[in-house]
Amino acid sequence: MSGSLLSGDATNGAGLLLALALLFPLVLAVGLSFPAARARIGTLLAIAPLPALAVALLGNGARFVMPGPFRLTLALDASGAMLMGAAALLWTAAALYAPAYWQGGSMLRRAGLWWLFTLAGSLGVFVADDVVSFYLLFSLVSLAAYGLVVLEGNSSVRRAGAIYVGFAVLGEAFLLIAFVLLANASPGGSLAIADVVQGLPFSPWRDWTLLFLILGFGTKMAQVPLHLWMPLSYRATPIPAVAALSGAAVKAGVIGLARFLPFDSGSVPWGELLTVIGMISAFYGVLVGLTQTNPKAILAYSSISQMGVIAAVLGMGLAAGRASAPAEATFYAVHHLFAKGGLFLAIGVVAATGRWRIWPVFIPAAFVALGIAGLPLTGGALAKLAVKDALGYGLVGTLGKLSAIASTVLMIRFLTVLRGTARTDAGEALAPLTLRLVWWGVAALAVLAPWILLTPATGYPLSDAVSPSTLFDGIWPLAIGGLLAIGGRRLLPNPPRIPPGDILALLRPVGRLAGAASVAIERTEARLREWPIAGAIFLGLVLAFSIAMYLAGSS
Amino acid sequence: MTTPLALPFPADTTPGGFLLVLAILVPIIGILLIWTLGSRRTELVALTTLAIGAAIALAILTELTGTGSAVIYLVGGWRPPLGLALRADGLSVVLIVLTAIVIGAVGIFAKGQFGYDPDAPEKRAPTVFWTLLLGISGALNLIFLGDDLFNLFVAIELVTFTAVPLVCLDGKAETMRAALRYLLFALLGSVMYLLGVALIYSGYGTLDIALLKSVARVEPLLFIAIALMTVGLLAKTALFPLHIWLPAAHAGAPAAASAVLSALVVKGSFFIILRLWFDILPAEATGLGAQMLAGLGALAILFGSVIAICQARLKLLIAYSTVAQIGYLFLMFPLATGSEATPAFASIAWTGGILQLASHAFAKAAMFLAAGLVYDAFGHDRISGLAGAGRVIPITFIAFGLGGMSLMGLPPSGGFSAKWLMLNASVGEGQWWWAAVILCGGLLAAGYVFRVLVPAMARPLARIKVKGPVSRRRELVALALAIMALLIGFVPLEPAPLLGIGRGAEAGLLVPGGLAP
Repeated sequence: MSGSLLSGDATNGAGLLLALALLFPLVLAVGLSFPAARARIGTLLAIAPLPALAVALLGNGARFVMPGPFRLTLALDASGAMLMGAAALLWTAAALYAPAYWQGGSMLRRAGLWWLFTLAGSLGVFVADDVVSFYLLFSLVSLAAYGLVVLEGNSSVRRAGAIYVGFAVLGEAFLLIAFVLLANASPGGSLAIADVVQGLPFSPWRDWTLLFLILGFGTKMAQVPLHLWMPLSYRATPIPAVAALSGAAVKAGVIGLARFLPFDSGSVPWGELLTVIGMISAFYGVLVGLTQTNPKAILAYSSISQMGVIAAVLGMGLAAGRASAPAEATFYAVHHLFAKGGLFLAIGVVAATGRWRIWPVFIPAAFVALGIAGLPLTGGALAKLAVKDALGYGLVGTLGKLSAIASTVLMIRFLTVLRGTARTDAGEALAPLTLRLVWWGVAALAVLAPWILLTPATGYPLSDAVSPSTLFDGIWPLAIGGLLAIGGRRLLPNPPRIPPGDILALLRPVGRLAGAASVAIERTEARLREWPIAGAIFLGLVLAFSIAMYLAGSS
Repeated sequence: MTTPLALPFPADTTPGGFLLVLAILVPIIGILLIWTLGSRRTELVALTTLAIGAAIALAILTELTGTGSAVIYLVGGWRPPLGLALRADGLSVVLIVLTAIVIGAVGIFAKGQFGYDPDAPEKRAPTVFWTLLLGISGALNLIFLGDDLFNLFVAIELVTFTAVPLVCLDGKAETMRAALRYLLFALLGSVMYLLGVALIYSGYGTLDIALLKSVARVEPLLFIAIALMTVGLLAKTALFPLHIWLPAAHAGAPAAASAVLSALVVKGSFFIILRLWFDILPAEATGLGAQMLAGLGALAILFGSVIAICQARLKLLIAYSTVAQIGYLFLMFPLATGSEATPAFASIAWTGGILQLASHAFAKAAMFLAAGLVYDAFGHDRISGLAGAGRVIPITFIAFGLGGMSLMGLPPSGGFSAKWLMLNASVGEGQWWWAAVILCGGLLAAGYVFRVLVPAMARPLARIKVKGPVSRRRELVALALAIMALLIGFVPLEPAPLLGIGRGAEAGLLVPGGLAP
């Protein structure tokens, strides 16, 4: 599957609804200029994703082509519908959670505009059908999210925001050049994603295009070494927003790789490179994550690790020319979407719960967290099952199993830290009912939704999920991981602490260099302003151009 | 060496030709009325004149697209080389309409700011401002319509002499110095230009561009002449490293004037460079020179953007951003290459370059006007003192942000479409190094735009001191210009047919009226 599977050019009825569904959050954003709308902001944010959810459920095959000079084509295929529907659910959940978490308050009003813009982009990237629309929506979700990252507004948060924006803009520059290369090699100049991807294997710039695609989407998926922004910005972002970002927004990178890499024809070297990057990220994320003390930072590193697994799945698929790899990877991504979004919500719930009342909210967290490591019969086990074939049964397959062990250790670490954040001052306190209900709902989705989607998305029968071999495959990494976690705590009661953003310190010399360069440039500018120098430059240019053109003229 | 004989100009005045004369005369009539009717009616007269000017610009556009060929007026009915021709092709008309819109918007913005104040000690300032504004609009139209190199010289001098006083309208020593520096650079440029014109006249006996195109030979005389004129015009366009007059001049002027200077005035001399290189020079011999121009453009992009990031004052930041954005225009020279089958102006780089010109004009005008409003609201434009300013005057900062979005090249905006086309051209032409420069420029632009927007949108620790209220009308003007910068991003991402009208390989030779004198 590369790009859209849909044929036909014209807008259909469902397509019109799809476009309206994406427009809806933007309309609400404009509506925020009215005080009456601002007063009901909680409701607005909660209903904003609902039209998209409805279209995702009912509108498969929707297609929208904007008439006139506006370039916007949308198409809903199975992968896009699955991710858009899941993302819409998570955004709704986060919006229901937010007012209770923030107790109304001004934070919600400050978040509103950015929330709606990020939401529109986040849902839109899953259904964009041409290169320019994709770039537009991708920019929207990346840059608008900045407003959510810096909501709390203190200086460390602003620093995280600056780093976030820096990486977002860098990733977009990679993508822009990749898309330009794609467009240049496109047969017949079409900008439809399916067409440019089809032209890619014959492009004279094929390798450069693949490199920049991997760099661009790799930045969004926080793959090592372009992962620095994720721990910092996830730690800075308030919980309702980070739940949506970590679950839904980051999937823009996944859908990007799934849509733009040429899985039909495949590419062995680039597939292998992507696999290597993914596997490095999968283990790096766990290792550094284990040294974290902030539960949000642990989850951020877990995201780096899980996105690494997805990158490896897509890389192996690309190397093998496996046309089903994008569908399998997006299925895996849907589970991660609910699980990671849910766990962030759980952090907020546990923090408001007394230590004696923690179990009803903690046990679901344990299921969801260990589900990420592949706990049998949870959605996570199904996700692992879906990508098992793609990872293969060789070295990479083994690494995949090892990454499940590593994830187990990290998730146990997370659960330990999470339990420690329960309130001790009011041991009998209960988190507000809304928070608990939303958390339980998302947890249920993480565990159950993959059961509904497995067969339609990947073609694997559900019976595979309960076969003894699958159950065994799920159990033993957990068992080993559990033992490692216990053993590790004995052997290393005080693990080293690495600040979030780990190798950010390595960038300091780069920063100093940039500082020195800008000082040098400013000094040059001051020199240029001196009259004798300005005059000399003027004469020099006259001479240079005269000579250059004389040569051209006399040759 | 024999002097080739220029043929008589191959066209007559076309039916809509009188519109071209009106485009130049109406602002001049406006100026005369301002000076005769007295300062009480200055604003009314000036704004009416600008409205009529906009209507004329649209009429020329309609005429051009209606007939699908150039609109021509022969002054006094004499054909060049004896007489003078005014000629509007697709490119000219785009610039005329652009000028009319931006100057019109600036006029609405400035209404009341330079209005008649019976109690003020100095009653000439409003008269001077509106005179200069109308003067610039007439002079720019003359540049865009002129078909004669000496005629263009007169026009570019008019632009200089109307632009320089705008810089020092407040009469402070600091802005006087900036204006003087501007004047000196512009004069140096004029001298070089005039020298080149003399050389061409000695070689060809005509200065009409359409005629020169038909007789120009690949020979040193022509090339040296064009080199001299180009460097002269570079000084007026403020291309790096001849940009040093620009920041102080554009940042020192009143906001309304800065907007016109940055958005339009530097584009006037750039337009003449375009005419020289694409309408006179034989295409086969521009290689090295074109690379040099684009090389300076690339330096301008990198250098200007870095310095913009380091600025402490908002207006200086915007002015250095102009230095950088001008650089992009010069990437057109190596990228808009023509061939037998497709002329240069039918290339995507040509459309991309003109789109960059237009989107920068709208975006930069919006940003300078926004900077003026910031000054109105807070009494200063120190970036460090603007924390939380976006909460006080949100519309102003939305305008600034949308303009910045276009400069960064984010979709949907004119800046994005321009960059997309230029990137495609540099990939298609195999000149990937320009693509790298364009991408770096976008990243650096993000740096200086976010440097302003981020603190402005943040919650300040201390409440920001507000000096005075901000006019809602002025905010909306800035916003409207910024929205224009976004809207022109929706042009199709392919060579624009409008830009090709009247510019066939036989430009100017294509004709209603035939060859017979």
